[in-house]
Amino acid sequence: MASASTAPLEPVSKAEDAVAPAAEDITSRADMLYEECAKRPEGTTFFQRDLTSMQIARDLNELLNLVGDLSNRHLLKPLQFEGEPCWKLRPKDIAEKLRRLVPDERLLYQHIDNAHTEGVWSKALRAKTNLAQPTVTKYLKSLESKDLIQAVMSVKTPNRKMYLLKHLKPSEDVAGGPWQNEGDFDSALIEVAAKVIGNKVQEETCIRVSGTWNNYASSDRQAAIAHKKAQVKGVPDIEEALPVQPYHPPVDPSASRLVHRSNPFYPTTLGLAKYLNSIQLLRGKTVRESDMEQLLEMMVLEGTLEKVTATAYRTVLPISDQKYNGFVDAPCGNCPVFDLCSDEGPITARTCAYFAEWLDTTSEEP
Amino acid sequence: MSYTQRETPILAELCTFLVEDMYGELAARVFSVLARFGRQRRAEISKASYLTSSQISLGLVILTQQHLVFHSPSTEPIVFYDIDWQQSYSLVRHAKIAHFVEERFDKKSANVISNLLTLGHTSVADLRKAYFPPSQGQEEAVNGKKVNGTKTNGDASNGDTSLVNGSSHDEHDDEVLGSPEELYSIVQNLIEHGWVIQVAEAQYLSAEDMHNIARQQALNNEWGGAVPTGTKDKDRLAHLIMANKRRIRDAWLEVPNFSSRKRKANDFDHGSNKRTKVNGQGQYGSAGGFDHSPEDDLVIRVNPEKAAVAMRNQHLVSLVEQRISYTTARLYEILLRSLEKSIPRCFEDYPDPFPANIEDQPQWEPNPDHVVNTKDIAQRAKIIGLDICNGLDPNAVARITKNTVSKDGVLSQPVDPSSLSFHERSEIVEAHLSLLVDHPLRFVTWHARGQYRVDFDLMAKSLIQQEIENTVLARKSTVAMKLLRALKKKGKLDERQLCNTMMSSANDVRGIVNDLTVQGFVQTQEIPKVDRREAKLSMHLIWYDVQRAREKLLHDTYKGQVRILQRIAFEREKIEELLSKANRTDVAGNETKYLKQTELDDLKKWKEVQEKLLLQLAREDDLVAVLRDYCGPLLTA
Repeated sequence: MASASTAPLEPVSKAEDAVAPAAEDITSRADMLYEECAKRPEGTTFFQRDLTSMQIARDLNELLNLVGDLSNRHLLKPLQFEGEPCWKLRPKDIAEKLRRLVPDERLLYQHIDNAHTEGVWSKALRAKTNLAQPTVTKYLKSLESKDLIQAVMSVKTPNRKMYLLKHLKPSEDVAGGPWQNEGDFDSALIEVAAKVIGNKVQEETCIRVSGTWNNYASSDRQAAIAHKKAQVKGVPDIEEALPVQPYHPPVDPSASRLVHRSNPFYPTTLGLAKYLNSIQLLRGKTVRESDMEQLLEMMVLEGTLEKVTATAYRTVLPISDQKYNGFVDAPCGNCPVFDLCSDEGPITARTCAYFAEWLDTTSEEP
Repeated sequence: MSYTQRETPILAELCTFLVEDMYGELAARVFSVLARFGRQRRAEISKASYLTSSQISLGLVILTQQHLVFHSPSTEPIVFYDIDWQQSYSLVRHAKIAHFVEERFDKKSANVISNLLTLGHTSVADLRKAYFPPSQGQEEAVNGKKVNGTKTNGDASNGDTSLVNGSSHDEHDDEVLGSPEELYSIVQNLIEHGWVIQVAEAQYLSAEDMHNIARQQALNNEWGGAVPTGTKDKDRLAHLIMANKRRIRDAWLEVPNFSSRKRKANDFDHGSNKRTKVNGQGQYGSAGGFDHSPEDDLVIRVNPEKAAVAMRNQHLVSLVEQRISYTTARLYEILLRSLEKSIPRCFEDYPDPFPANIEDQPQWEPNPDHVVNTKDIAQRAKIIGLDICNGLDPNAVARITKNTVSKDGVLSQPVDPSSLSFHERSEIVEAHLSLLVDHPLRFVTWHARGQYRVDFDLMAKSLIQQEIENTVLARKSTVAMKLLRALKKKGKLDERQLCNTMMSSANDVRGIVNDLTVQGFVQTQEIPKVDRREAKLSMHLIWYDVQRAREKLLHDTYKGQVRILQRIAFEREKIEELLSKANRTDVAGNETKYLKQTELDDLKKWKEVQEKLLLQLAREDDLVAVLRDYCGPLLTA
């Protein structure tokens, strides 16, 4: 179906109506054909054999007449698929509107229709139709006011107005990917998605190790012997003093810490995209591999993920005791008037309120 | 002008403060004249200052002794003086150097090094005399001070602590040297490890003088004094100049042939044949007239560049501890320490000049000196009794020790790290190293089977970036950091592309771009598309240059340090009277007896304040080291 829609269009009004039997008869029968087609799912493409099989037209000639009639009333949209003519239905109200258009308007409409969800730029329209700029502008406006087309700001080229049919949803190239909403990034959505993906990546690349994972009893025999001796003798012997034990950071048995897995299977962009689609987080939107890559790259910039290789990402371990650096941890690093601070004048080290607060001392009154 | 020798007014101010604090007002006055007016002759110094000729001489002597000034070679008729900024700034690191040495060797070595720091440079004989004064009433040794036992900077009584040693150490017996032999072996050890170097006249050469001499040498050797003309010859000259500079400098690091401690003391006569000639022409080495050993003439000083190497290692280890785990950090520390001996400096000051043609540029090659063996690390970890199993994925440990892991990651059979076999230990160490390899900062790189390499140069750049990001993160938000990273990754971007990369709306970004521009971290650029300059018809790009941001942050940090020093001075001034009272000879030591409770409280508060400020000063120095000392200027593409 989709391939049919991309097929080049040819305004096929070739269905010659050589002999015109009773005009009303054709119209009514054409309406019957239209009704029959409308029973099919929306957007179905009809080929000649489909129309024949509806058994409304008695022979091929009549069918051609019927189709010609419908096409003239804009109820059928003629298309071509691999050299074979085919048709699509148009809703009646739109066909009604189309019938009232002037030829130039109709020409514009046709071009915009061709552009499908990608939309077409007004300048490109002018080039295609060879109409003068004011005419194009005028007719585009009138088409817009008739609710036939819509103008959308393109995401790729922000100062271009792209025109597409009113009932279509702009494609991702025009309206942006799943992360965008009305041309702007949907920060709330991105945040949630990043969190979900972050958790997923963490699950795959990290492992939580409890404090008691390796609860060995130190089997330092010598130390144990020395200890025992000291207990027996009551006085510790200098020569048997315990060797200096290295410092071990205190282990809290309930504390657990995150450790990178050894030899993990790093999640791929495609896998993560599938995962996000499968949990249906973004209603109605699907995430492609490239969208996921964009999100992952952003998370790398944000510092929640880190790149291991070109395509593999893993979680950044939470930093134990975040210290920044000597400069920003001192008052000067965050001082709003740092650039105004000088050796003398109203703002100096002597009169500094921040130093006073930090050191819990007093400063000179400026 | 060499990169490290570029100074800014704020650095001049900072260094003047440091000099004043360490060496008194006179030296600081002379220093500040040089700092303000740059390279000049004595006559000009005396014109610019209100000092008498003898005062200037005295000041210059102090500065020269401490290597704080350069002077032109003695062959020149007129002597110019200029400040050695690198050395002047490193005054702030004195305490750190002593601390590093103590950590690596022992308290005695730390004592020797801190005396060397105080004395500037000294001959071994003088140092010996300072430690072991001759019994008869001969003149007092170097600078008239008996140094043994008293830690030179540690004699902080109450208020007038010099900057370097914020905390005064208690005296311990293990700081006292037993014999001159012990002193010699300590000095030899320090020289071998690169902490102490020989003094040479070339160390007093400013960058230009050094360049001229190296150039002249190259010309004399290759072209008989004539200046070559061809392009190829000019390139060759540039290479030779750098090679000469490196040769001059590397001679300082040479370990002189000490009359070995293994030989008996009566072999001294033979030892003298083996001694390498001191570059300084012995002018500073005033050998005493009694039982002197051949290395007495040797004039030594502390290697200013080594401290940066140790600071870099310390910084890297703390990063690993923060980002990976405690145990991995300890192993990394072992690894870096094992390399330290062969690394005299952080980056090559005199690299071969860049080829004009970009294709001729030599491929970046790993430094074979920076390779370590896993087995050595495992061995060392065993000696210090590190629990090497910690900080790893239990599954990895289980695989190595043929163990099993329960569902919640607990080993079914606990593993005592001290009972592991050598092979198992090596494998566990490998597992830690692979954590380091995988980290985006690339703490180590796989070199060959069982061998790993540290690429310091590559890391130094990311460290700078890291610190800039940290600064922005602490001041602003993650969004600002994200912005910097996005720009770093993509280069110049317009607003739209920037929003796309960051996945946020233009409104959120705009304000932050503004703030960062004002702070000097980010630049904006306007490129007109037409010949008129019209906002609508121009492209507006936002870009970020690490080198610029680096210099800006460095400048700000210097300024922050100046403010801290000024604050210390101010805080001291506030309790000036009390301090002078507490420092009276009868009061010092008996504070509780003579001082009132409020005075004692004030004194305690002052000490706390001072300590806090000094600590912060040292931490800002860590930042300075990252920004300035670990790699040369970054070229922007």
